[in-house]
Amino acid sequence: MSEKYEIRLNIYALTWRLPIIFWQLIFFVGPVLFMVAMSFFLVKNYRMNEAFEFVNWSRMMTRGFFWDSYWYTLGIATLSTFCAMCVAFPAAFALAFRTAESTRRWAIFLLIIPFFTSYLVRTFSWFVILSENGVVNAVLGYVGLGPFKMLNTDFGTLVGYMTLTLPLVVILQTVTMANIDKSLIEAARNLGCSPLRTIWQVIIPLSKTGLIIAAIFCFILSFGDFVAPFYLGGSQEPTLPILILDTTKSGQQWPRAAVVAIMMMVTLFVIAFTGIALAYRKGKGSK
Amino acid sequence: MSKPLVIFDKVQKHFGSFVAVKGLDFEIHQGEFLAIMGPSGCGKTTTLRMLAGLEAPSVGEIRLNGRVMNDVAPHERDTPLVWQSLALFPFLTARENVEFGLKMRGVSKAERKQRAIKWLDKMGILEFENRHISTLSGGQRQRVALARSLVMEPQILLLDEPLSALDAHLVIRMQAVLTDLQRELGITFVYVTHSQSEAFAMADRVIIMGKGEIGQIGTPKEIYRAPANRFVAEFVGRNNILAGKVKSIDGRSAQITTPSGIFTVPTNEVQLLEGHKASFVISADLMHIATEEPSGTNKAFCKLISEEFVGSMVTLFLEDAQGHEFKVQMQERELSKFDLHSGDEIWLSWDVQSAHVLNES
Repeated sequence: MSEKYEIRLNIYALTWRLPIIFWQLIFFVGPVLFMVAMSFFLVKNYRMNEAFEFVNWSRMMTRGFFWDSYWYTLGIATLSTFCAMCVAFPAAFALAFRTAESTRRWAIFLLIIPFFTSYLVRTFSWFVILSENGVVNAVLGYVGLGPFKMLNTDFGTLVGYMTLTLPLVVILQTVTMANIDKSLIEAARNLGCSPLRTIWQVIIPLSKTGLIIAAIFCFILSFGDFVAPFYLGGSQEPTLPILILDTTKSGQQWPRAAVVAIMMMVTLFVIAFTGIALAYRKGKGSK
Repeated sequence: MSKPLVIFDKVQKHFGSFVAVKGLDFEIHQGEFLAIMGPSGCGKTTTLRMLAGLEAPSVGEIRLNGRVMNDVAPHERDTPLVWQSLALFPFLTARENVEFGLKMRGVSKAERKQRAIKWLDKMGILEFENRHISTLSGGQRQRVALARSLVMEPQILLLDEPLSALDAHLVIRMQAVLTDLQRELGITFVYVTHSQSEAFAMADRVIIMGKGEIGQIGTPKEIYRAPANRFVAEFVGRNNILAGKVKSIDGRSAQITTPSGIFTVPTNEVQLLEGHKASFVISADLMHIATEEPSGTNKAFCKLISEEFVGSMVTLFLEDAQGHEFKVQMQERELSKFDLHSGDEIWLSWDVQSAHVLNES
């Protein structure tokens, strides 16, 4: 290969890569760097001034309300992930193993439909169902139960998170399990493994990568969601996204909001990284 | 042979309107090496899967040790199967794979390990016990799959074309491993294959299947020398099939008129009727060639079309004046005496007793 040709090839490759590089620099790396810088700025008389002070960090890190909110958000996003994974699994299992291929295609199509409408609209529609005189309490009233308070509770927040994540989790789990080599399941049965036991012994280990990725998606979406805790959870215990909003509103504290945002990003980064490392980890004995 | 271990009693398997297996009626003896052979789609794998409980028969009964197995779940049977794809668990090490069945049966951890190690050692792959399946070669995986099934110490081992993915030289090696194991353990092997060489090399008895039915059950030699019908004769190949009408029957032999001439055949077993259709087969290795016209009735004058060498054996493909194809198999050193080239003409002949009359069906 001539040197000239190589240079031409490099220019060609670079030309095609430039747009995405620029996009990433302008709309991701730039803003993140700016946010980091901003977290050291100072606000005086409701105006932000460039500075390099650690006061925002020390304030936020030493305040109980930040850590309360942090652990609460981490906890409820984890609970949401757990619930979504558990609720989705039987559905995905049935679609992957007990359904004809054509039916599965239709089911996946139907699971995409919720994404056609705005998440906000879907969240608001829960009011009709969950409010004190909503559908659920009306039905329960007939059998002499309730009324239960479901809106403005953690339960409401979880329902919102499910609305956001469940279709995606079911799709990811279904696709993962549908790709399992059926002869491995038969081999387990052949070696004395009961149908229920094959789930733990064979199906979950085989779909580990896909299941962990579904869980990561679910966690990221829940952790960063503002709508569900705000409208359905009533923001009684503020999650981190609500804390960001409150901080910017009260006294224009953008630098402190940046501190919260950076903490969120770091948390998500650690969780996504660990999760993916776990998903693709090879067991002992492999090279 | 001893008492039957497995009985297939008028077994059928339907998939919707498709009949995969129609009317299987046979026995598998204790301690025999049985091969089920046939072209793809003949129902041989379905038969094996029914035995493992992975498919339920639509009609009829399968009995194992006298017990009707139709409704016994696969995990409650003791019929380990070696898959064509091997179906080893990729998330487990070689030893964990071997231990899997024992774990499911509730065998203690220490005993599991000890038995797995014993079998890995027997298979000559103990050094790979802690390796993952993806890091093993085809032959090593094959041995893990065998160990995983045999560690269960079953009465019967089912094998579904387990050697089809291996290189030719490994196939020969594994054939020896399998026959040695079967002799040593004295358990029953049921081996499904489309490969005649595998079936004939290893099996005590062979079942030839076609279109969901049994074509013939017999020892490899019986099937090779005396195919029961045209389907089996064609499937086995390397033989000459001649079809015609019965001209006359004369005690223990009969004359059959074919487009290629009138030939004498022995009338053992098959009932021949004068004027009725009949066909017979002569193995390619029982044909003689000669430059001078031979005496006797069973002869044909043919032109050499082509030759095929397989090691020291040569198969000649010839055609007579009527365009009927004949095959002759012989040692290369015998053939070299004739100095034949394609297009040359030569006489073929065979002994009356070499011919075998087929059942017309």
